[in-house]
Amino acid sequence: MKNKSEEKKYMPEISQKEIDELRKAITATSQRVVAENIEKMKKADPNRPEAMQYFDEIADFATREKEIRAAKQEGKKVIGYMCLFAPTELILAADAIPVRVNSGWYDASKLGDRVVPVEVCPVVRSTIGAKMIALSPYLELSDALISVLTCDGMTKLGEILSDYTPVWAMSIPRVKDSAQSMRLWIEEIKSVKGQIEALTGNKIKSKQLKSAIELTQKATKAFRRLQDLRKGSPVIMGRDAMLVNQTYMWDNIERWTEKTEALCDELEKRVSQKNWACPPDTPRVMVTGTPMIWPDNWKVPTLVEEANPQGVLVADELCSGERLLYDPVGVDEWSMSDMLNAIAERYLMASTCPCFTSEDGNEDRINWLLNKIKEWNIQGVIYYVVRGCMLYAMEYTRVKKVLDRMSVPVYYLDTEYTREDVGQMKTRVEAFLEMLSARIDI
Amino acid sequence: MITAGLDLGTQSVKAVVLKDGEVVARGKAFSGFDPAKAAEQALGEALKDAKLSMSDVGHVTATGSGMDMAPNSNSTVSMMGADAKAGVHLFPNARTIIDVGAEEARAVKCDDNGIMMDFVVNERCAAGAGAFIEAMARALEVKLEDMGPLSLKAERASSINASCVIFGESDVVSLIHRQESKPEIARAIFDAMADRVSSMVHRLGVNPDVVLLGGVAKDVGFIASLKRKLGVDVLIPDFPEYAGALGAALVAVKRVKKVSK
Repeated sequence: MKNKSEEKKYMPEISQKEIDELRKAITATSQRVVAENIEKMKKADPNRPEAMQYFDEIADFATREKEIRAAKQEGKKVIGYMCLFAPTELILAADAIPVRVNSGWYDASKLGDRVVPVEVCPVVRSTIGAKMIALSPYLELSDALISVLTCDGMTKLGEILSDYTPVWAMSIPRVKDSAQSMRLWIEEIKSVKGQIEALTGNKIKSKQLKSAIELTQKATKAFRRLQDLRKGSPVIMGRDAMLVNQTYMWDNIERWTEKTEALCDELEKRVSQKNWACPPDTPRVMVTGTPMIWPDNWKVPTLVEEANPQGVLVADELCSGERLLYDPVGVDEWSMSDMLNAIAERYLMASTCPCFTSEDGNEDRINWLLNKIKEWNIQGVIYYVVRGCMLYAMEYTRVKKVLDRMSVPVYYLDTEYTREDVGQMKTRVEAFLEMLSARIDI
Repeated sequence: MITAGLDLGTQSVKAVVLKDGEVVARGKAFSGFDPAKAAEQALGEALKDAKLSMSDVGHVTATGSGMDMAPNSNSTVSMMGADAKAGVHLFPNARTIIDVGAEEARAVKCDDNGIMMDFVVNERCAAGAGAFIEAMARALEVKLEDMGPLSLKAERASSINASCVIFGESDVVSLIHRQESKPEIARAIFDAMADRVSSMVHRLGVNPDVVLLGGVAKDVGFIASLKRKLGVDVLIPDFPEYAGALGAALVAVKRVKKVSK
């Protein structure tokens, strides 16, 4: 009888030679893209904050890969996750390393086409492709993956990746505001806690969980401080802030927090000197929609900030951006059950993911957008969707209605995991920015 | 004061020359492999027509997908911005301006001053644009310019799914196999295109007056289908294919005034 564990449910056979060749080629492209992106970011703000240097370094996958590899040799476990609902505090409390593993490599999505149709969201196809050729260091280093069943793509992605790595699926209720939803979610949190403990061999005790929560609370504080600095005249280019936000997905959290605080110190000085990253009357743009993942999927922020007329990104509503860490875990009593409840609440209730629905539509997302528009003085919103991202595409109509009522221009920008449509996208982004400026003068 | 607008489209380059804000000449050349050369040619032709030379021109504004390649241009304006400007100049009550070109269809919503308030572009597919009619004319073995008049002879409506040029073509082939008449197939083609364009416009809201610009605005078959689908009258200027260049030339007027102030 054939060994059952070796039978793959989804993944095709692919020769080691092809794997090696493809990985080599795509890794080379990735390194070039990382360098190009950073070069462009440096050029956009010749007086770029010095503290950005750290984030440029950690944006290169190899640096953190080396660290995690070394930690693994000392017996640490790595737990990857796709959606933000994975409770990182529990991973940290078990002395394991959390990393997010969604792929931002365009070329890998073409490989994913061998497994699923092209109509499927490219984030999913690219993550499948990355797994096929062992491209993503974080995905490769993961001892287990937490797959939260949010959209259809993510639900099946976990199933597909389980051909290689143990996957723990977590059911998430689609209606947040009900007692039974919270009960289900707390049970899911407890169950994943058991799985983390079994994998790591570390029982999660109150003391460790408290320290883990305090660690992410500190990170949240630094994170919020950075976003608050973007409320006024632009003291940091949007791409720089987005890179800081994004590196949280794989960096050492304690060090990330220190470096982010240091960046904020530098930025505060600049605010007092009125030392702006770009002219203060540059149109202020927010992006919302499908996650944009480093390094390839940096085209929208680059287009906006290099357009003629230029725009500056001052806020986003992306699960690869400001949604990552905006909300702290709020604990009243440091008992195990209270901490678990607080974690469950933070991950479920604070999320603005379009997988949720309510009588008023996804009202938490609408409220987030309206708050950002008001507090961050947003002049235009780019609603970004990759083909196949059904939930964000569908929710556009709802968001547009609300924003139209407030006379806030919003533009639906659809694209793919490809570099070839940059010309077309540029036309649209520039027309949108021209429209924002034209409200002043044409 | 002389200004000029250049529209570097995917298929052809159009030039419009204005004297004190009024059109004095137009020129056109195929984009081909060297859009910059085509732009020079189109503008040169228009200037020659108006008995002017390049040195008489105060400001040239370029638009269109190739606008960055325009030689001798002083500034650029987006295609949507140019549409809005031209639409409201031609029809002061225009609030919804549709432009269907060779490879792109777009719609712009604008305010009383011709300032664009919102816009949509067809979703990365030529099925709602002129190239679709060309491909379908080939499948029907009909000349491009005969497609429109032919479709008006249709006695009833049949339908194809124009989600994409390639699929559209295979749908047309199955209509041929079903032995539908050419006029009916031609009408089905325009209906399918108009369907795509009208659902795009509906996302902006259909605010009268509705204006149709671009090369496809010369096609009687498409106009009839679009009017049916939108359920409102559609205004079409003379020389609709020059509207983008006209809009750019009007933007140039503003810009030259700003500089001379």
